[in-house]
Parts: sequence; structure tokens; C-alpha cells
Amino acid sequence: MSGTRRIIRQTMTVARRDFVATVFTPTFLLFLLAPLIMAGFGAIGGLGAATMADSRDRRVQIVALAAPEDGARLVAVDKRLRGVFRERDAPPPLRVTTPRADVAAQARALIDSSDIDISAVLYGPLEAPTVLYGAQGARTASYLVELADQALRIDSAAGAEPVARATRIAVARETASIGGQGQAAFFTVFGLFFLTLLLAGQAVGTMAEERSNKVIEVLAAAVPLESVFLGKLIGMFGVALLFLSFWAGVAFNIGSLVPPELARGFASIGPAVGMPAFVLLFLAYFTMAYMLLGAVFLGIGAQASTPREIQMLSLPITIVQVGMFGLSSAAAANPGSWVATFAEVFPFSSPFAMGARAANSPELWRHALAIAWQLLWVAITVGIGARLFRRGVLQSAGPKMRWWPRRGSGAVEAAGEAVSP
Amino acid sequence: MGDDDLALWASGLVKRFGGRRVVDGIDIAVPRGAVYGVLGPNGAGKTTTLRMLLGIIEPDEGRRRLLGHDSPREASDRVGYLPEERGLYPGMKAREAIAFLGALRGLEWRTGRKRAETMMEAAGLGHAVDQKIRKLSKGMAQLVQLLGSVVHEPEFLVLDEPFSGLDPVNQERLEALILAERDRGATILFSTHVMAHAERLCDRLTIIAGGKARFEGTVADARATLPWRVHYVPHHEHEGLAALLPADAARASDGWRFVMPDTGIEPLLAKLIEAGHGISGLSIERPGLHDAFVRIVGREAAEQPA
Repeated sequence: MSGTRRIIRQTMTVARRDFVATVFTPTFLLFLLAPLIMAGFGAIGGLGAATMADSRDRRVQIVALAAPEDGARLVAVDKRLRGVFRERDAPPPLRVTTPRADVAAQARALIDSSDIDISAVLYGPLEAPTVLYGAQGARTASYLVELADQALRIDSAAGAEPVARATRIAVARETASIGGQGQAAFFTVFGLFFLTLLLAGQAVGTMAEERSNKVIEVLAAAVPLESVFLGKLIGMFGVALLFLSFWAGVAFNIGSLVPPELARGFASIGPAVGMPAFVLLFLAYFTMAYMLLGAVFLGIGAQASTPREIQMLSLPITIVQVGMFGLSSAAAANPGSWVATFAEVFPFSSPFAMGARAANSPELWRHALAIAWQLLWVAITVGIGARLFRRGVLQSAGPKMRWWPRRGSGAVEAAGEAVSP
Repeated sequence: MGDDDLALWASGLVKRFGGRRVVDGIDIAVPRGAVYGVLGPNGAGKTTTLRMLLGIIEPDEGRRRLLGHDSPREASDRVGYLPEERGLYPGMKAREAIAFLGALRGLEWRTGRKRAETMMEAAGLGHAVDQKIRKLSKGMAQLVQLLGSVVHEPEFLVLDEPFSGLDPVNQERLEALILAERDRGATILFSTHVMAHAERLCDRLTIIAGGKARFEGTVADARATLPWRVHYVPHHEHEGLAALLPADAARASDGWRFVMPDTGIEPLLAKLIEAGHGISGLSIERPGLHDAFVRIVGREAAEQPA
């Protein structure tokens, strides 16, 4: 056999082994179907993101506090000018409201409204209006001034100079805007997703170390595998918390260096439950997400006996995480919808979706309920994960699950006597 | 023997893997303070049996009782175990590895570290106390693991093929360690397919083959399953010698070999001398554990490759 033919034969022998070792495994099926699953979850995520953008836009308005006559003129001008814009560039819808006695306070209350986001409010005479606007409302404030200007021109033969002499006042909201809450919700989902993906995903490969150096047998003999499982989960969680603390510290310090003008821009972004409660809830939901997904990953990872299998398992696991992200993003975009309810109840998306809820809604009692629900699922998942882990590591199902105390230990002693020499 | 006298008993242990009965109804009873051997060829089911006895895996059928507990897990802190596949974290220092193994069995880290140092000194490994496991030779790492399995002074010590992979010097060290543990009062259960160690160390043993226990008793009992053999070298070999010898006598390169007659050797020797064959050499060979093992499990099973 020539040298070239021998090399080809040897190459093909290695290739054949690798092909067979990869394809003839159950994990390959998951790998094969990964794009399908990914497309499904991508669609959910895309739908969520689109819905989020759409719903955010629908919840923003500009307001003119004007007498009916001025209001009618403003509406007419708005109708005319709005036609100039493409739909996606159009200013938020205009609402005309009758001014009350303390119109300045009324305008300020509108800016701070928690029902709807008012990006700018115009009040006072059209010739000298005052426009209050929030962090994201500079352009809409200009639009309101332009409306006033154009409304005055309807009955006058003014030249090119502006007729309306407006006073523009930038104000910071006392609380986060609805849009800001939505953004906070999205960042929450993304933050939880990113951290879980980065940190809990590591659990997939942790058993490889014990397997490769055979320590698992020593561990399994000394302590219940359930303890090994939990120990690994908690150990990795400790690493995750350290990671989180480090980067939270870095982010906090960077945040304190941000110039005040820039910081004002972020003033409208914030959670509905308030920052202290939100931080605690974020930590709680991160813990739940980590424990839930970490337990699943550790259990599944224990089924893999080679780095190749671990690699094969990583893709479907990542896809599942992306799926939870997509579902929770949709929930964040549409609080109160059936998607949101489903995401909040479904155990593996619940921590993400409830994190988003903390940003979207000020109610706290639901979180207590959700954490209790998630704790239950953490217990269930850890239990199942531990059994999967045991089966994967030792090819043994372990002791049968008993929900009642064992009876008849006397029989055992009798059996002991029977075999005694 | 009562339950209190037994460190371990098991009855009718069965384990199936993929429908195959790897362990098929094994009974075992280990007296307290004994060195007990589980012997068998490769693939006999020794390791699976030990794992079931320790509660690492659950039997499909059968019961076991370890140090007075129906669940072996409950006695875990009083048990030491050296698995067949040795395993230590390569990045750990030897002292830490021993302390870690002790901590798994409920020993305080600080105590574990102190004991590790003392034990390593005593075992001639004092220089390696602070060396990482990956830097140690295989034999040294194996001894470190053995020390780790006894650092918490267990009442019951299980060693699965403890001598495999060790050179003769380390095998001797290990035998000394096992005997020291026995003298401390520990009960020792170990598996092996090397008969010499079992012959020297075991008070009782069981021989497993094909997942079944084929023999249980002392080393002497095992040897007694075979008759003593005679090696006879005549001084003058004349015609008619074969007729005087027992029917099973076979010619060897240096004389004749046969099973000791039921009547003893003296009447036969008298006949041979009388017939003028004389005695140039005579030895009476007591069968060893190896011979008994081969006879009990069958030559084919005994010679299975590893």
C-alpha cells in the first residue's frame, strides 16, 4: 500500500470513528433539531421585542393644556403637520386638556403621571407658552412649540419670525416613566438571562473534572450524590455571586462618575417597585434562575461522559435559555397579557418574567407568591436533577423515593440472623 | 454469630446492568475485627458488590446491614473506602487531599491536616506533604489516597483491589498499613484477584465468579477443598513402579506426582522401598489458595484477561 493510500485510510478510520461517535448518540438528535427550536424561540423573542417597542410607543403622549378654542387650533395644526412625518418618526399623539386653576401644577402632575408617559406638556397663552418636558422629551417639546406657533399663524399674517415666544423647562420625573419601566424590565430580563447564561451554564461541564480524575467514586462513597450535586450547585453559585458582586461594584463606581447631565437622561428609567426592593428582588430571582437552570444543567451535564458530549449538550441548553429569554421579553413588553402570565407561571421563565414584573408593576405581594412557587420548583428540579445526576454518574437509580417512613425493620434483623455464619 | 458480632452482612444481593445479572444473589457476613477478602477473577462482580455494600449503588434485590444500619449511608462516617479507580484532585496538595477525604467523612479539617502530616511521615512520605497530587508518582498518590481513607479512623475499611498498580515495595507498605488498621481494631474488607495477598492477610474470604459466591470460609477451608499432593523421585526406577503408584500418578520431568492417598503416604513408601525403588526425593505439597481459587472458579474464569 502506498504512503498516500495508507494516510487516506488512516484519516478515514479516524473520521469514521468521530462521525459514528457523534451521530449515534441521543444528544445528536437535540443538536440536529437545534435550529428548529432556535427558530421557534427566536420568533417568540422577536414578537416580544416588537410588541415591546409597539406598546411603549402607544403609551406615550404629548399634552396641551389649552382653552377649547386654542385646543381646536392646535389639533388642526397637529393633524396637518403629522402628515409630514413617516409613521415611525411621528411625534406621540396630542391630547388637549382644559387647564385648571393651578395650571403649572397640573402640567407637572401630568409629567409625573404613572398611568401614561407624557413626554411634554404645553400650557399658558399660545403667544408665550411654557413647555415642560421630561428626559426623552426635548424633540416633542419643540414640536409643541411649533404647534403653538403654527396655530397663531392661522389668523395672522406673520412673517418668518416665530410668533410664539415659548419658555422651555426640562424637568426630571419623580418616578420612572412607563417607558422607563419597560426599559428597566427589558434590562432586567436581559441581565438575568446574561448572568444565568454565563454562570449557570458552567455547571454543564463541572462533572467532567470529577469524571476525568475518578474522584466521583470517592465522593459518591462518602456522601450522598444528592449532597455532591447540591454542593456543586452551591459552590458554583458562590462563584456566581462573587462575579455579580464584583461587576455590580464596578458598575456602581462607573455610575457615580457619570456627568449629571447624562445621568438625567437615565432618570426616567427605573423599576416600578423602587430601587431597594428591586435590588433584593433581582438577587432573589437571580438565585432562583441560577438554581433552577443550574440544577437542570448539572443533571444533564452528568449524562455526558466526554468533552464531545458536553459540547453537544451545550447547544440545546443554550437554546432553552434563549427560549426563556424570548418568552420573558414578550412578558416584559406586555405586562398583564396571557404571554406574561404564562411566562410568570412557567417555572423556568418565572424568575426572568417576575424580574420584569418588578420593573413594570409596583405590587409586591405577587413576588412573595412567585418566590414561594419558584422555591417549590427549585426543590423539585434539584430532586430530579440529583436523580438524573446519580443515574448519569453511577448508572444506578439510587434508593427508591419514599414518601412514608419505612416499616418492618424487624424483618431486616431477622434476615441478618438468617445469613449469619 | 449474632448481629452484633458482624460488621457487615448482606443477603441475596442482586444487581442487573442492561438486563444482565452482574451480581446474582450474593450473601456475605463479615465478623467485626476481621480481615475479609472478596476474591474473584476480573468481571466477577467484586466491585459492584462492594459498591452495593457501601450504598454507592442500590441493589435490585437483597438486603444489607453495615455497622448496625440498614442503610449503609447512615454508617458513612465510620467507613473508609479506597475505590478500584483511584481518584484525587490533581491540583490539591497531599495533606489537603487527605484532610478533604477525612472531611467528607465528618473529620474536622484541622484535625485531618494534623493527622495527614503524622501519617505521611509514618508512611515514609513526609517529604511529599506539601506536594500537589499531580507531582506524585502513581504509587505515592495511591498511598496518599489510602491514608485519606483511614484518616478518620474508620471502624470498617473497604479496599477495592488495593494492590493493583503498586510495585513490590509499596505493596509491602500497603500490607503493613492494612495490618496496622486491623491491630487498631478496624474491620477490613478488600477485594483482589492476587491470591498471595489474600493468603497472607485474610481471616475469612468469599470467592465470587460470574456474579455468584462460590465459596465462603477461611483460607484454610479454601485450601482444604483440594487434596494434598505428593512429589516422589525414585532412587532406582525399575519396571513395575507405575503399578505401585496411585492410579492418578503422572510422570513429571523429575519424578512422579500424585494426590496423597487416603491411607496416607507411609504404606505406599513402605511398598516402594520393599520393591527396591528407593526414595531420592519426596515432598508433600499443601495446595495454595491459588490452586483452590482455580479449582473453585474454574480455570477459564480464573485466567480471564484484565
